[in-house]
Amino acid sequence: MALLFKEQAKLSAYRDRRFSGTQEEFDEALRASTTVYIGNVSFYTTEEQLYELFSRAGEIKKIIMGLDKNTKTPCGFCFVLFYSREDTEDAVKYISGTILDDRPIRVDFDWGFQEGRQWGRGRSGGQVRDEYRTDYDPDILSVRIIALSVKELEAQRQLVDYGTGSLGAYPQAAPSNYGNGRRGGGNYGQGGPNRHGRGGDYHRKRQRDDDRYGRDNSRRNTDHESRRDTDHDMRPEKNPRFRESGDSDDDGEDDRKRRS
Amino acid sequence: MSNWKTLLLRIGEKGPEYGTSSDYKDHIETCFGVIRREIERSGDQVLPFLLQCAEQLPHKIPLYGTLIGLLNLENEDFVRKLVESVHADFQVALDSGNCNSIRILLRFMTSLLCSKVIQPASLIVVFETLLSSAATTVDEEKGNPSWQPQADFYVICILSSLPWGGSELAEQVPDEIERVLVGIQAYLSIRKNSSTSGLNFFDNGEFESSLAEKDFVEDLLDRIQSLASNGWKLDSVPRPHLSFEAQLVAGKFHELRPIKCMEQPSPPSDHSRAYSGKQKHDASTRYPQRIRRLNIFPANKMEDVQPIDRFVVEEYLLDVLFYLNGCRKECASYMANLPVPFRYEYLMAETLFSQILLLPQPPFKTLYYTLVIMDLCKALPGAFPAVVAGAVRALFEKISDLDMESRTRLILWFSHHLSNFQFIWPWEEWAYVLDLPKWAPKRVFVQEILQREVRLSYWDKIKQSIENASALEELLPPKAGPNFMYSLEEGKEKTEEQQLSAELSRKVKEKQTARDMIVWIEETIYPVHGFEVTLTIVVQTLLDIGSKSFTHLVTVLERYGQVFSKLCPDNDKQVMLLSQVSTYWKNNVQMTAVAIDRMMGYRLVSNQAIVRWVFSPENIDQFHVSDQPWEILGNALNKTYNRISDLRKDISNITKNVLVAEKASANARVELEAAESKLSLVEGEPVLGENPAKMKRLKSTVEKTGEAELSLRESLEAKEALLNRALSETEVLLLLLFQSFLGVLKERLPDPTKVKSVQDLKSIGVEDDKSSAMDVDSENGNPKKSCEVGEREQWCLSTLGYLTAFTRQYASEIWPHMEKLESEVFSGEDVHPLFLQAISSALQFPLQ
Repeated sequence: MALLFKEQAKLSAYRDRRFSGTQEEFDEALRASTTVYIGNVSFYTTEEQLYELFSRAGEIKKIIMGLDKNTKTPCGFCFVLFYSREDTEDAVKYISGTILDDRPIRVDFDWGFQEGRQWGRGRSGGQVRDEYRTDYDPDILSVRIIALSVKELEAQRQLVDYGTGSLGAYPQAAPSNYGNGRRGGGNYGQGGPNRHGRGGDYHRKRQRDDDRYGRDNSRRNTDHESRRDTDHDMRPEKNPRFRESGDSDDDGEDDRKRRS
Repeated sequence: MSNWKTLLLRIGEKGPEYGTSSDYKDHIETCFGVIRREIERSGDQVLPFLLQCAEQLPHKIPLYGTLIGLLNLENEDFVRKLVESVHADFQVALDSGNCNSIRILLRFMTSLLCSKVIQPASLIVVFETLLSSAATTVDEEKGNPSWQPQADFYVICILSSLPWGGSELAEQVPDEIERVLVGIQAYLSIRKNSSTSGLNFFDNGEFESSLAEKDFVEDLLDRIQSLASNGWKLDSVPRPHLSFEAQLVAGKFHELRPIKCMEQPSPPSDHSRAYSGKQKHDASTRYPQRIRRLNIFPANKMEDVQPIDRFVVEEYLLDVLFYLNGCRKECASYMANLPVPFRYEYLMAETLFSQILLLPQPPFKTLYYTLVIMDLCKALPGAFPAVVAGAVRALFEKISDLDMESRTRLILWFSHHLSNFQFIWPWEEWAYVLDLPKWAPKRVFVQEILQREVRLSYWDKIKQSIENASALEELLPPKAGPNFMYSLEEGKEKTEEQQLSAELSRKVKEKQTARDMIVWIEETIYPVHGFEVTLTIVVQTLLDIGSKSFTHLVTVLERYGQVFSKLCPDNDKQVMLLSQVSTYWKNNVQMTAVAIDRMMGYRLVSNQAIVRWVFSPENIDQFHVSDQPWEILGNALNKTYNRISDLRKDISNITKNVLVAEKASANARVELEAAESKLSLVEGEPVLGENPAKMKRLKSTVEKTGEAELSLRESLEAKEALLNRALSETEVLLLLLFQSFLGVLKERLPDPTKVKSVQDLKSIGVEDDKSSAMDVDSENGNPKKSCEVGEREQWCLSTLGYLTAFTRQYASEIWPHMEKLESEVFSGEDVHPLFLQAISSALQFPLQ
């Protein structure tokens, strides 16, 4: 459908520098992906708002907020993972360029989230892709700036701080040493702000290492592929759409195995 | 993109490609000049691209038709190939039941007749083939009347192509086209009027009464007949070929070879009612009706356009929506600039809303139409937003009669639309809903829109947006956060439960395993406090830890899901668990729904437990005043259905792979055998070691391909087993669902002798509740309704509405279990006739 005008459009103007394959492989990863990257998001936009908007395209598997590596608060981008490719395409086709929290967000196919990519890579700790934003169509997206009071309201909103709470510096990062208890959990306690900061940094370094490791071994371990693998791999899926009954769901040990 | 392609693509448009001219004649001449040369240079590329343009930009078909007519004068061979190609594509479309292609290609062929490319008689043969297939289908003895949707579709295709060449047909082959029209009338007399009551937008008949007697095909024939009697004159189809008539006359006709229509499946041999109902359902899923007219604007507002022109504009709009989905700019621009000499904003709005609300479902998600409406509001800022607002007001006035499924989509669309336009809406117009009882459909509608707005934005922002009707704040969802029972108050001593909750929370922080936590709970809390307190502490504490965001929730469930499943292994306990979840999130509808949805994903709660919880007293009382229980029920059904669809997709993929693997493995074996037999003939006696490397390679290929095949077969078997289990679980779920509906309705529906239809239910309320009826303030000019439907009646109406909506939405999953459902639920002695009516109309199938 709509092939006539599509061939002019590129899959994505942005080429992630972490992707180490060729351009063709990158495009292929985008074509198969069930992950979208969302940019130009307000710092105050919550996961629940994203859930409400993006679930209109289809069932959501996971949301990963892009966080400022220094403050552990959202910094204007995120990833949304769907279960189906069709829903992913609809999200890109029908949500990109529309308004969320008074801002026109952009939605692109993403080659697949990897641990570590949630941290902003901009100089200030924020998102780097902001610099690539030139493709809005001024005809369609002439968004008038709204009343001042919006700013006042914004000021009353609270940034979600992902650096505190009992689930660890960042929830996605925590499970890597969860379960064995050997690390004692010092990083996850309710210590002062300094301890939090250190905890986060410590984590970030580790994830970078993990990331590099993972990349060398299975460069394109995208969701899509891991889904395909479930045929041979009947272990409980993470974030299942609907887990099969009878799957054993053994705790820690199994969890650790899955991750090792 | 090369120049000639751009010219083809942009023909008929105002733009740089064609300079200042907006005259079709100039465009065609310019384009023709370039294309004729291009064919010589790169002939192979022109043909497919030209066909693609004609098929995907069908509103430009007359321009392409004329261009091809001109090419035919110079390069007969090229056009002969083109006609052959169209014919072949048409046959493929017929074989595969590709509705849009069939319809558009038939229109294209009709247009090619105007430019003297296709021989009229051979087009008539195509029409007659389609018509005779249709007539056979509806014939009780020779055909299979369940498959009428296909027959209707063929006839619609013939009729709907006539605006593009009726005049020429009437001139060149008057007797033949008359014969076709007579044939269509004869067809209409033997087919059944396709009763679509279950698919109407409104349930009061009043609005649709003028159309009620005629279904879509009959109505279209009327329009075509009045077009014919009007000398086939219409405004909406450009006739550029007329400017070239003198030249085109010299063109040589090409003949269309005969076509073959797809044969419909044979009717069930055992005359089983359920089976023929299922066939009819399958047929209407394959050949769905494209549009149902909404008729929301008063006649004086609508553009004064003759019926056939309205039909053509609807076709244009639906075609652009279909072929240009995903191309935002082009889609909006083509919709806003159709090649017609009259205004059509109201018609466009009606068409778009008819798609959003279309039953059983539109071709695209509501999200897409939302985007198109936004873009049109921006493309036509002076005209369109006001028309959209008018449509919303008109629909709001009729909201109590609007189908529940359509109503839900309208809420999703409107909240999303407003979120893109700064949430600006004249809420003061609707402030009067506060004076209506809390179950009044208009009031619930406003409340649900505000609810969705808050979800897309945030409470304070929406509060600000209703400033001009600040009383409506009462309808906003609560601002409060989660309802955590064990938060510590300063200076107060901790209760025992608070202590246990804090202890549990500490264990999470210490990364204790779920297993350790279960042990601790089973040893420390359960024996002392019993099940309910234990459950409350566990649910409250764990949900509170996961309350910060969706991701936090997912993380908690991922890590400690087993604590829940250990505590609540069966449906009874899971119903209690759900009740605890809803208590914790009582201030947040979205998080309640999300939490339950995720818990179902992890199988911590079963879909049956969700159905049971939704039909528990705390929720039943909400059925008519809130969408929340229905949202949760809908999610559970949707997830169940998605999982089945996933499995089916997996199975079909694996099946394909198995075939490939089978072939590979068979090939490998053949090769090996060939090699073996070859060896045995060498030098009279078998020398096995002649080429051991090759033999080894072949053997290992046989092994590998064999293993691959086997492993695929195994995973296919595994998936099939899962699907079978899922299907039997679905049957249990459906039985429970319908029994639950039946049960609650039986308790509340008035005696069947008193109410025989939904209309009766609406008027009963008026009589019985006259004393308590609300008199709406007449001073501010709000539409007055002297009385409202009573609470119990509205409860019944809402519940019946959702019963219909769910049944219709999942009809394809319900049909296979029909016999069981009929024998166990629908045929009971005390089944209320309104319950049966709701299901019959949803399935478009009479129940006994």
